[in-house]
Amino acid sequence: MKNPDAIVIGAGVVGACCALALTNAGLKVLIIDRGPVASGTTGAGEGNILVSDKEPSAELTLAIRSRDLWFEIDTDIGGGFELEAKGGVVVSRSAKGISDLKRLSALQKVNGVEVIELDGAGLRKIEPHLSESVDYGVLYPGDAQCQPMLAAAQIIRAVKKRGGSFIQGENVVKINANAGSITGVTTDKNQYASPIIINATGTWAGEIAKLAGSYLPIMPRRGFILVTSPAPKIVHHKVYDADYVANVASSDADLQSAAVVEGTASGTILIGASRERVGFKGDMDISILRQLARQAISLFPVLADIQLLRAYRGFRPYAPDHLPVIGPDKNIAGLWHAAGHEGAGIGLAPATGDLIAAQITGRTPFMDPSAFSPVRFKGGEYVAV
Amino acid sequence: MHNVVIIGAGPAGLSASLAAAAAGAPVLLIDSNPRLGGQYWRMSADDFQDQHNQHFDLDTGLLLINAVKARKEIEVWSGAQIWSATNKDGKNTLRIIYQGKERIVNTENLILCTGAYDRTLPFPGWDIPGVMTPGGVQSLLKGHGVLAGRRVVVAGSGPFLLPVAAGVIKAGGSVVALLEASKSRRWLTSFFVLLENISKIKEAFYYIKTISEAKVRARFGQAVIAAHAASNGELESVDIAKIDRNFRIKKVQNIKCDVAAIGWGFTADTSLAGSLGCNQLVAKDDGVVVWVDGEQQTSIPGVFAAGEITGIGGSDLSMAEGVIAGISAAKFVGCNVEVLKAHRKRRAKRQRFANALIRAYPIKPGWKSWLKDETIICRCEEVCLSDLKHSINELGATDSRTAKLLTRCGMGLCQGRICGRFVVDLVANELNLSPTDTDRISAVNRPIITPIPLGVLALGE
Ligand SMILES: Cc1cc2nc3c(=O)[nH]c(=O)nc-3n(C[C@H](O)[C@H](O)[C@H](O)COP(=O)(O)OP(=O)(O)OC[C@H]3O[C@@H](n4cnc5c(N)ncnc54)[C@H](O)[C@@H]3O)c2cc1C
Ligand SMILES: Cc1cc2nc3c(=O)[nH]c(=O)nc-3n(C[C@H](O)[C@H](O)[C@H](O)COP(=O)(O)OP(=O)(O)OC[C@H]3O[C@@H](n4cnc5c(N)ncnc54)[C@H](O)[C@@H]3O)c2cc1C
Repeated sequence: MKNPDAIVIGAGVVGACCALALTNAGLKVLIIDRGPVASGTTGAGEGNILVSDKEPSAELTLAIRSRDLWFEIDTDIGGGFELEAKGGVVVSRSAKGISDLKRLSALQKVNGVEVIELDGAGLRKIEPHLSESVDYGVLYPGDAQCQPMLAAAQIIRAVKKRGGSFIQGENVVKINANAGSITGVTTDKNQYASPIIINATGTWAGEIAKLAGSYLPIMPRRGFILVTSPAPKIVHHKVYDADYVANVASSDADLQSAAVVEGTASGTILIGASRERVGFKGDMDISILRQLARQAISLFPVLADIQLLRAYRGFRPYAPDHLPVIGPDKNIAGLWHAAGHEGAGIGLAPATGDLIAAQITGRTPFMDPSAFSPVRFKGGEYVAV
Repeated sequence: MHNVVIIGAGPAGLSASLAAAAAGAPVLLIDSNPRLGGQYWRMSADDFQDQHNQHFDLDTGLLLINAVKARKEIEVWSGAQIWSATNKDGKNTLRIIYQGKERIVNTENLILCTGAYDRTLPFPGWDIPGVMTPGGVQSLLKGHGVLAGRRVVVAGSGPFLLPVAAGVIKAGGSVVALLEASKSRRWLTSFFVLLENISKIKEAFYYIKTISEAKVRARFGQAVIAAHAASNGELESVDIAKIDRNFRIKKVQNIKCDVAAIGWGFTADTSLAGSLGCNQLVAKDDGVVVWVDGEQQTSIPGVFAAGEITGIGGSDLSMAEGVIAGISAAKFVGCNVEVLKAHRKRRAKRQRFANALIRAYPIKPGWKSWLKDETIICRCEEVCLSDLKHSINELGATDSRTAKLLTRCGMGLCQGRICGRFVVDLVANELNLSPTDTDRISAVNRPIITPIPLGVLALGE
């Protein structure tokens, strides 16, 4: 493609959504990735689109809009990525946990999230196999899910049909600028000119910022997921312990996990996910698998007899304050960041693309984007953990 | 002295156990089957019934099995399945499901003898009940004394078709067709190798005698290219075709049968070695095998491998390698033994035979032309060829990993053990590329070696 209006680096779900939003706004977009589509964290996670796990905040506003945008994209591009409004169920078994969950769901409700409180009987009506030990929970009908790799692939396919292009297998090794303004990128094979670059490289976004002479503190947070053999329908929603919400916001480096259990269309059950800050450490850590299994069984005792088929891991991109980075770079004009979505990148991708496109094209964004601005990080060296 | 831990009690593992024990090293032998013997000497539970008629050389097997049982330095865990294995700082940790519980074994000295399983190729109708692998038909016969069906078609490629056809006949079944895809003449080109492996020829003639007495004639250059189900969903007939040198279809004929046993040689079971991090390589038949040096040592010091996982070569080569691995492992733990020249010579001779076999039974790329768009590629997840093509041509997959993630091909119950190997070929074919070694190796590796109940996993430390 000659002289694209914008180059998106990264063909994960975030890059795909940015490319679609820009294409729909009339720009000619080129997507570049060093691997195939969804070869980063998007291909190594789950597809939960959650509104239930966020405190009222800018992120919740982003999540609510993003959830609706997923359904708009589904209609816009003709689906094909298994989007389903499945509903989430959050439970708690401790007095403190229950009172926290009550407080949280009440606040979420005020902010426009649909919440339905349930007692033990109510819970077992919608989740018959749920442990007898659970007698309080909240149903979030708004929680949804999709197949993230298919989502990224289908969105990029739509972008290509609408005049954009996708180059894979090229590693961006240089960000070109002139007098403080972006002029394009150099890959290990070619050079491409464009006045706008969107850095959607997820966990590796700090390196792209560094190539541009700027700074972005994005680090990896490892997570494991268990996949069981196909079983008769046991789990009907996404079910998780309220502890999970506490974990999401934590910055403790140690292992944390609170199993999110869900059944899939193919009958397998997914159990995710642990959270650890151990850098890009890839080896299989069996103790984590055991912990996830214990937590899942404590929610659904019948899972004890179901077989674990496989386990995989990915590296979530996270910023020190656990908020995504969405907006213009503070040092170089024409460089935009859309990265650092941690464990919510699938859910937050469409609204991220929408915010980026609105700011680039001068349309009024649906919310004040300043909470996500890269400007919040003050200087310093980028240090990989 | 340390234990040598040996995994797999087939020809390789039994030989390795005896060699290590004879050298003075205590052995722990772990195998997932309820009885010793591996694939070749698989037997049914009934010890009193004479099982020789399903075996060419059960005597050697019984000799090894009884010797292993008699040696007090060898502790045997049968029916023990290793579900996970990891290597960290020179220590190997094996996690084993044994007698309903999980056991953990830590060791620096391991011999991997995990064997092989049937290599499959897809074709229209291969998912119909009644289409089996030769190994599956033979396991039923040897392990349970059960004949899978009365009228059996045996087809595919490789010498393993002969014992399966003979086994069916001896069990009272009728072999309605015996089809070898390769041309028979290739054999003559390795005449000297045949001569020096005369016992193997005897074995072949033993099977051929049974087969010809039943008036079954093997047909060369022919293959089953489609299967058809009756209204009850079970196999009713197969299409057999004359094929050219590249496996392209020339002429088709339909024949009725209850069972079709179709196999294309073997795929080494390297998943355990792969989890430990042993280097793997792609062999001449495009199968992935474990790399070993002349002492049968893998790329991890102290971890040895023998038998089919180091390259497909039959039971005699497996035994020859097993002996060397057993001696090398004993030496590694401090026993005063050496691998003898005679051991190496025996292995070399059998290796030449194995190489000749691979040359004699090449699998040619034309098999892909048998497939239709709607042909199932992954039976567990019911993915068809058109889904795979769609993931490449529409969704932009450019490697088998991405095609797999986008279609769920190979993500079901068998975790790609059946389809993983040929999906790499199909994806590369659609992209007009040749598969890389990395593609092939990553297709056969998985961190969970075999499924484990979550309840058992949860109880472990
Ligand atoms: C175990 C686990 C479970 C998860 N579950 C969920 C969930 O249920 N719901 C949810 O919303 N989120 C979940 N997440 C998080 C989610 O997966 C991520 O936030 C999201 O995938 C990030 O997408 P991305 O597009 O920013 O990054 P990626 O998908 O990683 O894409 C970045 C791309 O950039 C490319 N790239 C990097 N550097 C270069 C370069 N120099 N040149 C060219 N290309 C480059 C990479 O190849 C990669 O394809 C989970 C994550 C994990 C690990
Ligand atoms: C079904 C089948 C039938 C065969 N029949 C014949 C025949 O009739 N004639 C012939 O010449 N060749 C036959 N072969 C070829 C055969 O593989 C070799 O000749 C010979 O058996 C190989 O010996 P081995 O010791 O390498 O492996 P095998 O005999 O395959 O033994 C491997 C052993 O390792 C065990 N194992 C593997 N993984 C694990 C794990 N994770 N945990 C615990 N245990 C494990 C297996 O249960 C098995 O018992 C057959 C192969 C197959 C697959």
